[in-house]
Amino acid sequence: MNLLSILIFLPIVAVLLILVLPSAHQQRFKYISLGVSLIQFILSVFIYTRFNNTSAGINKEEQFQLIEKLPWIRLDLGSIGKLEIDYFLGIDGLSMPFLMLSALIMFVATLASWEIKTNLKAYFSLFLLLNTAVMGVFCALDFFLFYIFYELMLLPLYFLIGMWGGARREYAAIKFFLYTLFGSVFMLLVIIGLYFSVLNPATGNHTFNMILMMDPGNYIEGSVFSAIAGQSIFGISARLLAFIVLFIAFAIKVPIVPLHTWLPDAHVEAPTPVSIILAGLLLKVGGYGILRICFSIFPDSAIQSAWWIGLIGLISILYGAMNALAQTDLKRLIAYSSVSHMGFVLLGIASATTEGISGAMLQMISHGALSAMLFFLVGMIYSRVHDREISSFRGLAELMPQFTFFVMIAFFASLGLPGFSAFMAEAFSLIGAFTSEDVNGLLPRWMAIGASVGILLSAAYFLWTLQRMFFGQIRLKGGDVWKDQLVDVNTREKFALVPLAVLALLLGIFPSLLFDKMNASVLALVQLITG
Amino acid sequence: MNDLIPYIPSSIRDSLASLSFFSAEISLVLGFLLVILADLFFRKRYPQLSFILTLFTLLLVAYQSSGFLKIDSIPLFGGMIIMDHLSILFKLLFCLASILFVLFIWFNRTFQGHDKGFGDMYAILLAVHLGLNLMAMSANLLMIYLSLEMVSLGSYLMVGYLSSGQKQTEAAMKYALFGAVCSAIMLYGISLLYGFTGTLYLNDPEFLSGLKSLPLMSSGLALIMAFIGIAFKLSLVPLHFWSPDVYEGAPTPVTAFLSTAPKIAGFAVLINFLEMFYDPGSKALHSTMLDLNYILAFLAILSMLLGNFVAIWQNNIKRMLAYSSIGHTGFMLMALFIFSTSGFKAIIFYMTIYVIMNMAAFMLVDEIEEKTGKQYIDEYKGLGKQNSLLMISLLIVLVSLTGLPPTVGFTAKFLVFSSALEAYNLSGSPILLVMIIIASISTVVSLFYYFKLPLNAFLRESPDPVQLSYRSAKVYMGIFLAFLLLLLIVFPSMLEQFI
Repeated sequence: MNLLSILIFLPIVAVLLILVLPSAHQQRFKYISLGVSLIQFILSVFIYTRFNNTSAGINKEEQFQLIEKLPWIRLDLGSIGKLEIDYFLGIDGLSMPFLMLSALIMFVATLASWEIKTNLKAYFSLFLLLNTAVMGVFCALDFFLFYIFYELMLLPLYFLIGMWGGARREYAAIKFFLYTLFGSVFMLLVIIGLYFSVLNPATGNHTFNMILMMDPGNYIEGSVFSAIAGQSIFGISARLLAFIVLFIAFAIKVPIVPLHTWLPDAHVEAPTPVSIILAGLLLKVGGYGILRICFSIFPDSAIQSAWWIGLIGLISILYGAMNALAQTDLKRLIAYSSVSHMGFVLLGIASATTEGISGAMLQMISHGALSAMLFFLVGMIYSRVHDREISSFRGLAELMPQFTFFVMIAFFASLGLPGFSAFMAEAFSLIGAFTSEDVNGLLPRWMAIGASVGILLSAAYFLWTLQRMFFGQIRLKGGDVWKDQLVDVNTREKFALVPLAVLALLLGIFPSLLFDKMNASVLALVQLITG
Repeated sequence: MNDLIPYIPSSIRDSLASLSFFSAEISLVLGFLLVILADLFFRKRYPQLSFILTLFTLLLVAYQSSGFLKIDSIPLFGGMIIMDHLSILFKLLFCLASILFVLFIWFNRTFQGHDKGFGDMYAILLAVHLGLNLMAMSANLLMIYLSLEMVSLGSYLMVGYLSSGQKQTEAAMKYALFGAVCSAIMLYGISLLYGFTGTLYLNDPEFLSGLKSLPLMSSGLALIMAFIGIAFKLSLVPLHFWSPDVYEGAPTPVTAFLSTAPKIAGFAVLINFLEMFYDPGSKALHSTMLDLNYILAFLAILSMLLGNFVAIWQNNIKRMLAYSSIGHTGFMLMALFIFSTSGFKAIIFYMTIYVIMNMAAFMLVDEIEEKTGKQYIDEYKGLGKQNSLLMISLLIVLVSLTGLPPTVGFTAKFLVFSSALEAYNLSGSPILLVMIIIASISTVVSLFYYFKLPLNAFLRESPDPVQLSYRSAKVYMGIFLAFLLLLLIVFPSMLEQFI
């Protein structure tokens, strides 16, 4: 049994355990879930320490680590040959950081699940199923397998939002589901087109192996997605079209403006732990997919579209930030700030420079930790007084000093204060975007300049919120009743918040902890894209 | 008459030789007779005898058919029917559907309590099954017509079997009238085809060359008329009008059966019918006279659009499933554009899964209707909280019908998409791409209506919660089938090795 398989299927074992245990034990389910994510975290730290920095991965199968490859589906399709689907797992510098992040976010989300009081059996089963799906997405190297894990994330999320969410939960859940499914059914068509086009040189079968798809030499002459054949569909180059379809599928997850409208609804209606997972992990699946699949399999189209992707990133940064400024609901504000921060990821990726992509990766990890922290903090207020309107609170600093301390860490880290991870990440993304004009001429300078306005805006909405809610005289909408309810941070909450804050600080001071691990991969990726 | 005398010995020899390949059908005939006799004489003393006999016959038929699984194509009875690997697969699929149907009826309360009993129903089923088998193998227009009628007549009887209430009578009447008109049109088309070409054998080269020499108007008209009979069985748009009413009115087990077996047989006939237009050179259908690709793609698009979009507005579950099955038919049609192993593999795989999904869905829905009387989607409110295992099984079935992982419905959908894309790859005709895109969109649409059930069952609260008892064979079967759907995605080779 490989480490990655254990990481992926451990939650499934826990699901089975939860299902057989009688509901009388339901108070213990959260400890099972907590134990699972703790074991996963320890395993991922173990993987981190044993990780070989020099092994790049990306488009070289032998350089991937912890590879596990078993034949899964072999289907004889007669005239067109054999179809080959493998159970193929492996990690490189692009995926390894996400395994740690996933384990950590799941741990925090489980701690946030203490608030869930009803139907715990169903809740934790779905929660752990989601855990499996997320881990699987980051480890899968077979496109078919990847797609299965990718779709598997939707079902548990639908029910988690729909069953334990807020007032408009039905609407939010189905909107989220339809949006993502819309992106992914078209992705399925591209996957099919790809496997028609790609042959495994070793066996001569049609393969779903992503790594083989990255090598132009494996494409059948004259096939749809062959770069040399240059086929077109509806007058657009087939490869470009496929790239766009895949990009949209992942960009819905990221999300980009204008495909972001599911996000505020889903985040606001979801219960706190699910918001944490959504912001901390699900959005990252989008970014990871763009790097691992869109840019690696269709580098030529990526170069062609880089300008547009950069522009979309810039628009997301500015539009998200301006929307965040206008929100009156704290959770909605943070949701829009996510849109804004994920824009930096797109900008960094679009620059196709080492700095930009490293920055984008770091931004994903950093935003994963910080957004989880922010949603956790909002959840704390909400669970105490069931209100999260900004205007309902004033002077919280006096009432909840420790809480305010954590909020300040999260806010300052998010707005890009030097010393925290977001600063490093945004700085590198911007450097990448700025130098892109000289290095490869993909992005004009004004995009980087425009994006730095986004940082300014994020400072504005965070600081303004801080001022409105936490400083000044204590004035609460609920009066003295709320005063008693708004107790300060308890031990469980500290357990959740401290690791996140530490991670943000650690990566801000020693970004090389992460950069070293993924540098070889990023270089190989840049090499692959810009050729 | 005297001219024919020299041929008689050879044709008798041919028929006798064919009989050994016909064992499954002979068993069906014998089973049919035995069930009637058993029902006549032993109904009071051994009420379960007809059930056991039918089940035994079907298992025997499945066993006998599977014996021929490895054969090449063999013409029987002077080429009236052709037995090949594909038709055997179809026959096995019918057995699966029929066996599930037999069990379904046996555990259905309405049938249990009805004074007509089961015997006649089982006899009708075996006769219909014989018709289905012949449909799958027929290679002669007359044979197609006869077997189609055999199935249709049996189906009319099944729908009206219980004759409980006006709705059911109306459904049976509608079905019979609509069917009769369609089969009359089909017969007329066949007679035209015979007049034009001088042969009834589909694989006769004269058939195609005769058609080609005709002006498009005449050959096209004749073909379309003959095609109408098949489209009726498939309930393709625009010949789908009967299906929602019949599905809603008929007893639920019958609905489950009608939405699977005859539909699959319709596909078998369609494949036999289209085979003559197949051009091995281009791996596609001949498009010299009537562009069949266009017509089929058009029908597939219409069926997917109408089936899926109208299903959104349905509140009656059986009606919703009826419309969704129209959509599924359109979807399955996509696999036929590639006339080779990969296309057939995809369609057989899809159909097998479709039988399992549909039977499971109807079994679970029927169980809920029997116990609580709920047959509208919005009445399912809060059912999931109390009856989680039952509703989770139903959820798995619905996810599979939508075609999402982690159920094998996804694999099936994937294979059909693959063969459609392969067809597009070979022909490059834009309508195929449009069809594929419509299929993708209708998948998203189908999620919307399928998920109205779990939405009500899990996301909403009910004012008066109902607790169902699990002590019911139908529930166990439904759970088992749902489990199968999960199992098959991990081990698709369990199924794939037979195809």
